[in-house]
Amino acid sequence: MNQEFTMVEINYWAIAPLLVVVAGALIGVLVEAFVARASRHNVQLGVGLVTYLAALVVLLAKSRTEHGLTMGGSVVIDGPSVFLMAVILCFALLSLLVMAERFGGPAADAFTPMGAATPGSDLERSAESAGWGTTEAVPLMMISVVGMMLFVSSGDLLTMFVALEVLSLPLYVLTGLARRRRLLSQEAALKYFLLGSFSSAFFLFGAALLYGYAGSVDIARIALAIGAASPVLDGLLLPGVALVLIGLLFKVGAVPFHAWTPDAYQGAPTPVTGFMAAATKIAAFGAILRLAYVGLSGNRWDWEPALIAIAALTMVIGAVMTVTQTDVKRLLAYSSIAHAGFILVAVMSFDVTGVSGAMFYLVCYGFTTIAAFALVTLVRHEGSEATDLSQWAGLGRRSPVVAGAFAICLLAFAGIPLTSGFTAKFAAFAPAISHGGAAGAWLVVIGVLASAVTAYVYFRIIVTMFFEEGAGDVVAITPSTLTTIAIAIGLVLTILLGVLPGPVLEAATQSAQFLR
Amino acid sequence: MTSTGEAWAFWILATVAVVTALVLLLARKAVHAAFGMAASMVALGAIFLAQQAPFLGVVHVFVYSGAVMMLFLFVVMLVGVDHADSLVETLPGQRFWSTVLALGLAALLMTGIGRVNYTGTADLSAVNADPGNVPAMAGLIFGRYVWVFEITSLLLITAAMAGMVLAQRQRLTPKATQREWSERRIRSNTHVAGLPNPGVYARHNAVDTPALQPDGSISALSINRTLKARGQVASPVEHVEAEERIQREITEGRTR
Repeated sequence: MNQEFTMVEINYWAIAPLLVVVAGALIGVLVEAFVARASRHNVQLGVGLVTYLAALVVLLAKSRTEHGLTMGGSVVIDGPSVFLMAVILCFALLSLLVMAERFGGPAADAFTPMGAATPGSDLERSAESAGWGTTEAVPLMMISVVGMMLFVSSGDLLTMFVALEVLSLPLYVLTGLARRRRLLSQEAALKYFLLGSFSSAFFLFGAALLYGYAGSVDIARIALAIGAASPVLDGLLLPGVALVLIGLLFKVGAVPFHAWTPDAYQGAPTPVTGFMAAATKIAAFGAILRLAYVGLSGNRWDWEPALIAIAALTMVIGAVMTVTQTDVKRLLAYSSIAHAGFILVAVMSFDVTGVSGAMFYLVCYGFTTIAAFALVTLVRHEGSEATDLSQWAGLGRRSPVVAGAFAICLLAFAGIPLTSGFTAKFAAFAPAISHGGAAGAWLVVIGVLASAVTAYVYFRIIVTMFFEEGAGDVVAITPSTLTTIAIAIGLVLTILLGVLPGPVLEAATQSAQFLR
Repeated sequence: MTSTGEAWAFWILATVAVVTALVLLLARKAVHAAFGMAASMVALGAIFLAQQAPFLGVVHVFVYSGAVMMLFLFVVMLVGVDHADSLVETLPGQRFWSTVLALGLAALLMTGIGRVNYTGTADLSAVNADPGNVPAMAGLIFGRYVWVFEITSLLLITAAMAGMVLAQRQRLTPKATQREWSERRIRSNTHVAGLPNPGVYARHNAVDTPALQPDGSISALSINRTLKARGQVASPVEHVEAEERIQREITEGRTR
């Protein structure tokens, strides 16, 4: 053997945040094995909080300045990846606080006492009365966070694919672990799993075709190959791009690939839904931005029309379907589809301000979404969540604080001035007007109309909550301090980003430059 | 360009792989599906071998046809004994539209990929000679793609944890011993002598044949619940008839 083996260059500071979360997840697994059941909940919560905080500190203190490719090109540390990783960690931190809510019981309220017990069986009942809980949710969530952080920072399609799987698999499991209405939850998990594996297969097939075209899975090398334009292999490029984008658009819930969203959002434990809606969206959009702006921008004229059509469809169908919903979680699911369309509008501007606009939108939407789903967990009818909209009638009179907080979230979703929704929509639509050409302008028109339609739905809910008489047995229960903190942070940021968007917008603008 | 032999091998193996993959999808019985999967994987492994990638080819056969297939068969054996699948389609016209869309996608991909006219020679013999087939793979896995390789371990951890969370039924109470069962039966005064055995007949005895009660009716208690769920309960009628025949012959012999 003549060739000496050369190890890849590893910049440990650059990947340190990922390693911290991996270590936290492994400690969480060991906690499951060695810590007594009674104290697992608190230990896991502590491990999770310390892990996310430590990763955030390392990321902001050290990795932020380590721009460049490392691990042989698998990991890219640049402005967008650092910004999005930091936001994902913040979302994970808030979601963990909501997930750990116990409402005075012995175990986390959202998760089933025993995932393996048949719903409604004696075993389930005895596990519940023994105070068991699914504390495995915390390490599973940490593994998912590793996948998300890697997804936004991967420099080649192979890493991106593995990151996609690492982020998805724990989410499939978490979806099926709801404490109440477990059959619905398990059905949602199975649907999410089946459709998710299909979309992964699409992504993998597309990545293989792009490898055939460019001779490399590196995103930068694919960009070079597109620039060099070899006519022989040209037939591989467009199918490859289309299939890879299908895989990614599935994860954000863009319209022809959105069928899983309402079922999975409704069936999953509500705190997990909040985490999925906020963090998965940001991870998937991070990957879409990197692929669209770095890897595939060379032939964007070929695939841009399709993406414009998808953006328009996503906004319209998301908005129209929101109107017909009667379940709060399904309604928020369709609203998240519409929001994915708004973010796609920013992506389609193909300008650096589009990147910052999309990232700013994701930040605003995520904080509001986590708070909104946390509030949904509080509204109860005979102990279980009252998700039907008719049950929310008159909530504003009985529980004015919860109803008022939810109303603020809805106003932000609607994009009312002085909430983060308005500044976010402005940040997302402005680059489409100035750089997106005629198509961009049309998309913005559709976006504004779709916002108006969804605003009608949100106002209808506010009217239901405050101005209608309802049955008196639906009440908002009082959350623990941790959940209150999470909701308060979400709400404060929802208003603060609407009034004073400057610092975060500035940060997004400064970190909008991809490393090529 | 590919040589004639290679082209022949490809068309034969690819046909086998696609047809058996379709068997995997369309077979009604799980065992047929498993065979389809194994055959498809072996054909794919053979294609790798034909492409001068012996390591990949052999690993493909070992891992998929060996390990994964075994797991698959174990799962088929263990799970789903008394679960019935509902085969009712809830979406009207779903089969038609999914066929149309699938054919459309296939046509699009074929027209796109079919335009490719690759003229180079696919030859791995240089790499296979130096550094060698396996060292070259190792160089990629532990060199350029070492990060991907390491991160894959998280998938295995997730799979193990998911398996524990979703499938491990932990006992909350100790398993009842035979003595406890017996005491419980006597105290409640039901089935004090235990549940009835399955049928024992003059010419036949088996667990899948129910016992008869004194009045000739079938004792449902004598049959294992798993067999009942699988629909594998045999009818005792023929054994009863055989017994009656013997009885008749004996009586005939006596009277003659």
